[in-house]
Order: sequence, then C-alpha cells, then structure tokens
Amino acid sequence: MPKGNIINRDSFLTNIREKIGGIAADKPVEKPSWSVKPQKKVLEGYDQDQLISVLREQCKEIHTDFYQTTLAELTGTITEVMEEYESESIVYSDDPRFDNANIEEYLQGLNAFKWDRNDRENSIKVAERAEVGITFSDITLAESGTVVLLNDKGQGRSVSLLPANYIAIIPKTSIVKRMTQATDYIHAKVEKGEDIASCINFITGPSNSADIEMNLVVGVHGPIRAAYIVVDDL
Amino acid sequence: MKISFFVTCLGDMFYVNAGKAAVELLEHLGCEVDFPKAQTCCGQPAYNSGYHKETLEVAKHLVETFEDAEYVVGISGSCVYMIHEYVHLFEEGSEWQKRASKLKDKTYELTQFIVDVLDVEDVGASYEGVATYHTSCHMTRLLGVTEAPFRLLENVKGLQMIDLPNRHDCCGFGGTFSVKMSDISEQMVDEKVEHIEETKANLLLGADGSCLMNIGGRLSRNGSSVEVKHIAEILNSRGDL
Amino acid sequence: MPMHIGEKDFKKRVTKGLEDDFMRGAVRSAQGRLQDKRATAADELGDWEDWRTLGSEIRSHTIEHLDYYLHQLSEKVAELGGHVFFAETGEEANEYIQKVATEKEAKKIAKSKSMVTEEISMNEALEAIGCEVIETDLGEYILQIDDHDPPSHIVAPALHKNKEQIRDVFHEKLDYLKSEKPEELALFAREKLREEFLSADLGITGCNFAVAESGSFALVTNEGNARMVSALPKTQITVMGMERIVPGWEELDIVVSLLTRAAVGQKLTSYITALTGPKQLEEADGPEEFHLVIVDNGRSKILGTEFQEALHCIRCAACINVCPVYRHVGGHAYGSIYPGPIGAVLSPLLSDYDEYKELPYASSLCGACTEVCPVKIPLHEQLIMHRRKIVEDEKKSTLSERVVMRGFEQLVNSANLYRTATKMAPFLTTPFAKNQLITKGPGPLKHWTHARDFPQPANERFRDWFENRQKRGEKNA
Ligand code: SF4
Repeated sequence: MPKGNIINRDSFLTNIREKIGGIAADKPVEKPSWSVKPQKKVLEGYDQDQLISVLREQCKEIHTDFYQTTLAELTGTITEVMEEYESESIVYSDDPRFDNANIEEYLQGLNAFKWDRNDRENSIKVAERAEVGITFSDITLAESGTVVLLNDKGQGRSVSLLPANYIAIIPKTSIVKRMTQATDYIHAKVEKGEDIASCINFITGPSNSADIEMNLVVGVHGPIRAAYIVVDDL
Repeated sequence: MKISFFVTCLGDMFYVNAGKAAVELLEHLGCEVDFPKAQTCCGQPAYNSGYHKETLEVAKHLVETFEDAEYVVGISGSCVYMIHEYVHLFEEGSEWQKRASKLKDKTYELTQFIVDVLDVEDVGASYEGVATYHTSCHMTRLLGVTEAPFRLLENVKGLQMIDLPNRHDCCGFGGTFSVKMSDISEQMVDEKVEHIEETKANLLLGADGSCLMNIGGRLSRNGSSVEVKHIAEILNSRGDL
Repeated sequence: MPMHIGEKDFKKRVTKGLEDDFMRGAVRSAQGRLQDKRATAADELGDWEDWRTLGSEIRSHTIEHLDYYLHQLSEKVAELGGHVFFAETGEEANEYIQKVATEKEAKKIAKSKSMVTEEISMNEALEAIGCEVIETDLGEYILQIDDHDPPSHIVAPALHKNKEQIRDVFHEKLDYLKSEKPEELALFAREKLREEFLSADLGITGCNFAVAESGSFALVTNEGNARMVSALPKTQITVMGMERIVPGWEELDIVVSLLTRAAVGQKLTSYITALTGPKQLEEADGPEEFHLVIVDNGRSKILGTEFQEALHCIRCAACINVCPVYRHVGGHAYGSIYPGPIGAVLSPLLSDYDEYKELPYASSLCGACTEVCPVKIPLHEQLIMHRRKIVEDEKKSTLSERVVMRGFEQLVNSANLYRTATKMAPFLTTPFAKNQLITKGPGPLKHWTHARDFPQPANERFRDWFENRQKRGEKNA
C-alpha cells in the first residue's frame, strides 16, 4: 500500500515542542524504566492447569459458558453448544487450524459458511445471518477471561461480531496469565519490524451495556451469548 | 514529652471544651503542654480560596511561632494538614522551606500523636453512650490518619460505636464552599445527617471542629437530639460507669 | 454539540439540577454501584497503589515527550497507508472530516462514542453538508433520539435518565411499544442500529489510546459498536485528542487495565479493539481507507503550565463517580460536556474563565477525586490552582473577598490583632444569638444559617482558659 499523507504536522508539533521544551521530534526518546511493575506479579507462578481454573471462574463473572474438552471430543462439544444455543447455522474463519484440528469436515456437515477473504459483501451478509460464529483464540488471558484474536487475512473481523452467538476454541497452550503477556508478544513483533494484525480483538465474553441506569444488559451490538471451549491437547 | 498545643481558630473561639479536654488528656498521658500565645489561624481559608501570597505570610508566622517546639499537636486534622502543606508553598530549596519541613515532621493531629508517637491505644477513658464517628476528608485523605481515632474509641469503656454509612462522603463544609455554594453544601450536609440518623446513635464524634460545626449546625436546626462532641472530649472522660 | 451545554448562568443550572429529583435519584444509585465496583476491582489487585504509580509515570513521560510520540505515531500510520491530519482547532478538524465525507459521497455515517468529536461539534458540521450521523453507543443513541439531549457523564452519557424516561423517548420518537426493562430497550436499539451499521458509508470512531510504536488505536467498549464501526464501513476516520497516546504496547496494557477497572470495575471490558492501519489485501472486512485526525483545540495551551497533569487524564470518570457535588447537581450543571472534578479542571482550560469561572469553586475540596484517580492527577489541588489564578492573574474574585482576605492576612499575622478580634467576636455576634446559637447570621453567615445554626463564640476563649489555669497554678505553672 502506498504511504499515506501527513498534513500540518510540522507547525502542530513545533507548537507542542515549544511548550514542553522538547528536542527535535525525530531524535529518539529513551523510555525510562518504570519504578514498579505490578503487572508482572499477577498470577505469578501459576501453571497451565491453575490458569484454566482462573479462567473458568472468571467466565462466571463475564456471563460466558465454559467447556473443557479434548481434541477427540471437540466436535461433540461444539454440537452440545450449538444445541444449547438452539442454533444451526455457523460461520467460521478461513483458518488452517480448523483443518489441523480435524473439525473442518464436521463443520461442513452443518449449515456452515467459511469466511471468504475475497468476497466482502457476501461474507458480511452471511455472517450477519449466521446464528453462531466460531474462531480459534490466538492468545487467551486467564485473569480477565479474554480471547485475543489476531484478525488478519482470512480471519474476518465480523465472524466473532455479527452472529448472535460466539464460540471460541481455546488451545490449552494459548492460555497466559493476563494482558501483559499478550502485549509483550505484540511488542516483540513490533520491535522485530514484523507486521501485526490490522485488527487485534481482545474479547471478554458477550457484548453488554450498562448505559440504562447502570443495569447490566448482556447482548447489545455484538454477540448475546458466548462460549469458550478449552481443548486440552491443542 | 513536651508539647506545644495548636488549638486552631475554631478551637480557640467555639470548641473550647475540645481544647481543654485535649490538654488534660495529654497531661494525663504524661505530657507537658504549653500554649504558644502568638499562634493564629493556619491560613487554610486563604489558601483554599486561592490567596497564596497572603497564605505565605500566615505560614511564616506559624513557622516562627512553633519552630522551637519539641512536638506540635493540633485538634484538627485539616489544620494540621495545612501546616504540612507549608512545605509546598515555599520556594524549592529555600531556607523557609527547610524550616517548614522541620515543623511538618513534628506536627501531629491529636489521635495520630497518641497512637503513633505515644504508642497508646487505650487512654483509660470511659463514657456511656452509642456513638458514630465522622471521618473528615482532609484528615483521612490528605493527612492519611485513618485508623487512630477508631483504635482509641474502641477502647473507651461503655461506648458503643456504630459504623456511619457512606462515611467517606464529605459533609459539605469545604470552608468558603459552604458559603459560596451554600445550596449544594446544604444538600451534602443533609445527606450526611440522614446517614447519622440512620445509625440511631445519640452521639456524633469527629476530630475536626469545622465538620462538626457544619453537621452540628444542621442537626441543631433540624431539632435533632444527637449530641455532637469532639473526640478529645470522650477520650478525656473518665467517669465511673 | 459544542463543549458548552445548557443554560448560560451557573446558578440557574445548579438550581435546575438540585430540583431534578429523577436525575438525582438516578445519579445517586449509579454512583453507589460504580463506586463499589471500582473499589472491588482495585482491591482485587492487592497492589493498586503500584498500578497507579505506574500509570502516572507513563502518563507523565508521554506528555513530556508528546511531540516525539505524535511524530512516531503519524509516521507509522502513514507507512501503513493511512492518512494523518493534524488539526490545531476544531474547525480545521471538521473541515477535513467534511472533505473526506464529501469525497466518499458519504450519506450515512455510523459513529462510536467520542468526547472529542462532541467537543468540536463534529456532528453538526457533518449534518451541515447533508450527512446523517448516527450515534451507536447506546447511551449516546438515547440522547441523540431525545432531540440531542446533552451528555451528563463521560462514560455513561445518559446517566441522568431513568429507564421510564428512556422508554418514553423510544416510544415517542421510534414507536417503541415494549416495557421499560433495560433488556427490551437494549434489544430494540440493537435491531434498529444493526441496519444502520450495515448501510453506513463511513465510520467514525474516537480513540481511547493510540500506540505510537506501531501506529495502532485501542478502542475500549462493552457494546461492540466500535467494532462494527471499524469492521463494516469502507472508510474509517478516527478522531483523537492529541494527548490520548502511549509509547508502546507495554504501556497500553497498563492504561487499559487502569481504565477498565477505574471506569466500570471490570478486569477488561468486553471489547478492546486494537486497529492498525486500513485493512490489508487479503482481508474481506475492515476499512479500505483510514484517516486519523489529531486534535489540539486548546490542549497545547495547557502544556508547560501548572495544569499539565490534567492532560494525563484517561477519561475513566472515577473522579466523577465519587464526587459528592456531582451527585447532587448532576452533569448538566457544569455546563460542559466534561463534568465533575476533571470537568471543573479541564473546562476553564480548554475554554476560559469567563465561561467557566464558577467551576473551580464547585468543590468542597474533599479530595475524593484525587484519591481515586488511577493516574494520580491531584484534582483538588488543580482546583485550588485555578482559584489562585482567578485571584492573582485574572483579578476575577470579588472586591469584597479580596478585602476580606487581605484583612485576614493582617489579622492572623499579628498575634495581638488576632487576640483582640477573637476576644471581640462573642460581643459582636451576641445580637444574633439565641441560646448560644446563631440562627440568622449577618453577611456571609446568612448563607450558612439558611440551613444550619452557627455556634456563638464562647465567652472564655481557650487561650483565656489556659492562661487563667496557669495563673491559678492548676498545672504547669
Ligand atoms: S481525572 Fe483521573 S479519575 Fe478523573 S476521569 Fe481523568 S483519569 Fe479518571
């Protein structure tokens, strides 16, 4: 993609620089080392199984259904969730992990649609009509109960957004303590000059709002229900 | 231990009993108390109204008045905090700032002094009554004295303490606020009074004359039977039960 | 909606607030809930003070090097193919946004919540060129439907309305026929707004935090509307106040964790969406074209002054949620889209003292705001600084107050004068006293005694007692 335009920058930044007594903007600023790092202490020393229990507990707080299963049982669990949500149609991201986990075939046996990275209109239209959207979690944050989706290429931002129900498949190995580990990972990529996904979603349960008298309503613009399926051997 | 007593304006003019009780209490605990007569107001009314040049002069006066003291003990968390604030009023590194900083290090609010310096939690007081305690904002949030009054009150024989709901809410005094924004201040004190009445206590205690004057004034206007006392008065009661 | 809202006169706005029982009931219960949730979320961490320290260090460093980080941000965004416009004023920002809308022939614009666009009256500017702008945050949507009722809170803009009022607004404007149950109201809005998202030509978002190192933007929401706005329309504009930036992802973690806990007591909100540039080639959804508008609009006036810390604000509203003044008068009384303690600090800075001279006084200086602020802005001290400026530089205090304060200075500086004055007090006030209480006071006491009695000064002052006692040799003679 060609470089975008930058308009009015010089005068704008000169004005700021004069006020704060800064040096030239292109001279690198050293980030100080912060005096405390409380974020590193959260859930310190927890192993993978302990993190799963934290995640399971947190799911109660965020109105999310929690399942734990194995690769062999995964299709059964998905069926269970689909029945629970009284849903038949499903949209899934264009992601090789479905095939690797041997569930693509199962999905295709349902009323399923695979996100088409080359067809904006139709993909959005189908996702909007599907009852369930399903994706893999790239990184899972135990503390907050968050699935992190690095949405690029065939992932489709809409898959986890437009359907009324959302299912996240969580490989056990993807579970980390908290947001810190995810942002460290992304920061490392940026440092190395690698691309990061154009849309990184930190999703914590179904959508909700407390705009009416501070009463929590679950399900506003995004999904109304959400399920996390932790897969032990992924 | 030698203490220079800081009575504050309200203590000098209105809540004389609180000052008397505090002096007697400190003496009871083995301290020697003097009263530097040159003391005036801490300057907070001017400071909070934005009159900082004026406050600076007041601050200098109080620094001079108290700087030879071994300890300064005051009966208002808010005024004691103001003395602590002097450090920030004077120019960084100036002689005055150093003097203010020395004063800060030896200036305490009464209950803070008893618990932290004298290391006493039971002053041997007894008082028959059901009381609730108003935590004043400056004393808790700014001076950072949160536990001392409760520790001391817990050990008063015969006194039953009841938690004040929403105790961290301001009573609406705020110095000139109560005059400048009197309609808002009224609503705040009303809410405070409601909570006090909810506790069914017959006694309201506090460690700051200004809040007590505000809440007490409203209680009295409402014809409430709740009595208002400074904590020093209770801690200095040693009647037979 | 411009920054200034409602009636011009401060006193009238306050009276209106105080008389609005519906609003006060709604605010009181909301504050109660939010305070509890915030406190629980902070306690859970165990080391909340360390988090605040870190938050405050990050914000200080960033603002001290704001030029550097904005430069870095704009470079990154442009490298990704996005366009960056630096707007010194609201008008400049609006002109640019109008231009993009015109080029894209945008008819319908879906917008997620953004205070800075309110501040610069962006909606009005877009409506002036014939665009339809749809607020998609549930709270903002309710207000927009209700003939552009102004927001009264920076996180929950419709906080001043109760559910019955919302039902009535929906009924009157949108033929809503169901009950006042929040679930039903929200479902109705979901259905209405779904159509709008799908047919919008242009999406406009605010920005909770920009990340300089990668040219990313984090949007923090619960409803999912910001995700819609950034996934469905083909063109996206993000508008940010110039201070809403952090150096890198490490810092984003901290400010987001502080924001969600302080604002709503959640560990994270339902959606934190981090957008980096326009959509890439193999993506089907997301904007094909991305514009970033960075707005100054008075913020740089604050840099380098004693108020610089006000720019550390992460707009969590925790200070508003604990403020007892806000509880009684409500958001509209502040006359600014930024209400509560941070509004009282910020509004006079972004505008001027002529417009907002009363706000710094609308505080009892109880310090509840300073205590909760997740990035440690000394809010009540900033209010005192405002008062000082009003007194010293602007000479806007009343003459009588100046005279009183000068007299006060002389009085308390002279031990003799002070002694005489305090000795006289009981005699001077005796004519007003009844049973040692003053129930109708003179001068400034009049306001006090409107609702409260005032004690009459004691005849024997403390200092007299102490002296007499010494003379009598009762103690320490
Ligand atoms: S001033 Fe502090 S508490 Fe208030 S909104 Fe800003 S960050 Fe939150």
